[in-house]
Amino acid sequence: MTEPLIRATGVTRRFGDFTAVDDVSLTVGPGEIVGLLGANGAGKTTLIRMILGLLPPTEGALALFGEPPSREGRARLGYVPQGLGLWDDLTVAENLAFVDEAFRSRATAVPDALADSRDRLVGGIGLGRQRQLAFAAALGHGPELLVLDEPTSGVDPLSRARLWDTVHDSADAGVGVLVTTHYMQEAEQCDRLVLMSQGVAVAEGQLGDITGGTTALAVRTDRWQDAFAALDDAGVLVMLSGTHVRAVDADEERVRAALGGLAATLEPVTPTLEEAMVARERTAG
Amino acid sequence: MKAMILKEFRELRRDRRTMAMLIILPIVLLTIFGYAANFTVDSIPTRVIGPGAEQVAANAPDLFDIGEVDTDATTDDALTWMQDNDTEVVIDTTTQPPTAYIDGASLFTAQSASAAFGRMGDQVQVDILYNPDLDTSWVMVPALIGLILTFIGTIITSIGLVKERQTGTLEQLAVMPLKPADVIVGKIAPYFLLASFDMLVVTLLGVWIFDVPFNGNPWLFALGAGIFLFVVLGLGVLISTASQTQAQAIQLAIMMLLPQILLSGFIFPLDAMPTAIAAIGRCLPLTYFVEIAQGIFLRGAGIEALWLPYVVLTGMALFVFTAAVLRFRRDLAPSAHHRAKAKAA
Repeated sequence: MTEPLIRATGVTRRFGDFTAVDDVSLTVGPGEIVGLLGANGAGKTTLIRMILGLLPPTEGALALFGEPPSREGRARLGYVPQGLGLWDDLTVAENLAFVDEAFRSRATAVPDALADSRDRLVGGIGLGRQRQLAFAAALGHGPELLVLDEPTSGVDPLSRARLWDTVHDSADAGVGVLVTTHYMQEAEQCDRLVLMSQGVAVAEGQLGDITGGTTALAVRTDRWQDAFAALDDAGVLVMLSGTHVRAVDADEERVRAALGGLAATLEPVTPTLEEAMVARERTAG
Repeated sequence: MKAMILKEFRELRRDRRTMAMLIILPIVLLTIFGYAANFTVDSIPTRVIGPGAEQVAANAPDLFDIGEVDTDATTDDALTWMQDNDTEVVIDTTTQPPTAYIDGASLFTAQSASAAFGRMGDQVQVDILYNPDLDTSWVMVPALIGLILTFIGTIITSIGLVKERQTGTLEQLAVMPLKPADVIVGKIAPYFLLASFDMLVVTLLGVWIFDVPFNGNPWLFALGAGIFLFVVLGLGVLISTASQTQAQAIQLAIMMLLPQILLSGFIFPLDAMPTAIAAIGRCLPLTYFVEIAQGIFLRGAGIEALWLPYVVLTGMALFVFTAAVLRFRRDLAPSAHHRAKAKAA
């Protein structure tokens, strides 16, 4: 088997008494899209910073292209940080030119979608366009690995779909991808998922493995506020989507008991990623 | 409204830098600068030469702190001492009546000395060297160049660097296959060039508009300004590594700038400060640049007279710049740093 692009073994990072990442292991192989899931503060970004070599782990071993993270290793990857890492006071074309120069790669073409913004300052173009530019900059030097930290947050669904097309095209060409997200639709597009909660990798596998073990019941009633309050008071994990109440990881009997005399129909449904994540968090906590 | 006031106090209490600016800074400013803010010079280093030296030295007013009485020295010796800034005043008794040479580059000292001699009437003829009209701008402009370089070096550089950290692009630079040295040099070089350009413009404007004489060697001056720039740019980089936001960087830079303005001898003469306060002044880079700039501009002094400030500034530049680069490098390439540490262990 070929050496994975990223291999993290029992990686831990502490900041004083606080453990941001606790004994996490992870691999990303060529052509593989690995999703790192978790709520804010779960330790995803800290793990990424360690993989990139920006932050030394307190314990554990990290290999990037089979070596400890180094400048040489980083030259072979493309990174889109949460903050995008673009220079606001440079134009779109100038940003790409600087990145090309830094990676000593041939000139990256301004993406078609950004052609009309070519000479505009990055600070003055919309977030969706900025993300496209950050992708173009990260891919310009033909990286073997893409590291994307919340790559599509704040982007409209159409732009998000376009960005994911780019990710899949890269993966099809053999590029390994590590992507953090908390969107269900994005998690579905990953080959493998690692769910982090409070620094710990609490679940791993495909979407079914993450959501598996979690059950959800749709609670249909006109008095949805009362139902929500009653379930919450009874300590049932309850989620609300619009006026739809859903009870997570609780069987019918318990839900009925919590609802008391309140008239409602119960129907088992497939849990969402968010519900699975919250349920896992609760178990872990 | 009460809630608002309470909230504001709570926030302020936790913002240590602002608290420092609000409480400690005024106290420090008042005590240090209260002592330093003194235009009145009450002791002027003086030498007396020529056949009547002993007698003149014995009768000189208390203001003059007679250091050396040399009956054999000549007028040429006197002028050399003045140019080398070995003393502020020389009373030369080889002429009749005796001539008092006063260093016009030390404005307040010269004013006090010339007033004291004036009260003695015809007993002494006064020759104010280097700045015969005791023109304030002649003394201020060379020192202002230092202040402008300090301003650009610390404030502008630190703001520029912190912006990179604040917007997250510093991390992007760290991920790129750039050598830390490339990033540091690439980041600082523009400020170095801009500050050099400013120095040239201010020097030329000073000479043209204010008629400030430039009597020394321009290359020697350029060298001094270059070394000084390394010190202040290094301070700017150090400030940036200790600041998370541009506002913090500005606060720190102001804390570094204020003592330099007030204690470098640029406004208040170091000779008029109590020893302890003057000693603080002697630790500040601008003090040495002011010495170099006024020496070269007005006295036309050479390296033999100015070697000491050059050596001190070079030492400061090496120390500050190395510390700055190491700290900045740590931000850029923590893994390399960590590996080196692991290897050493």
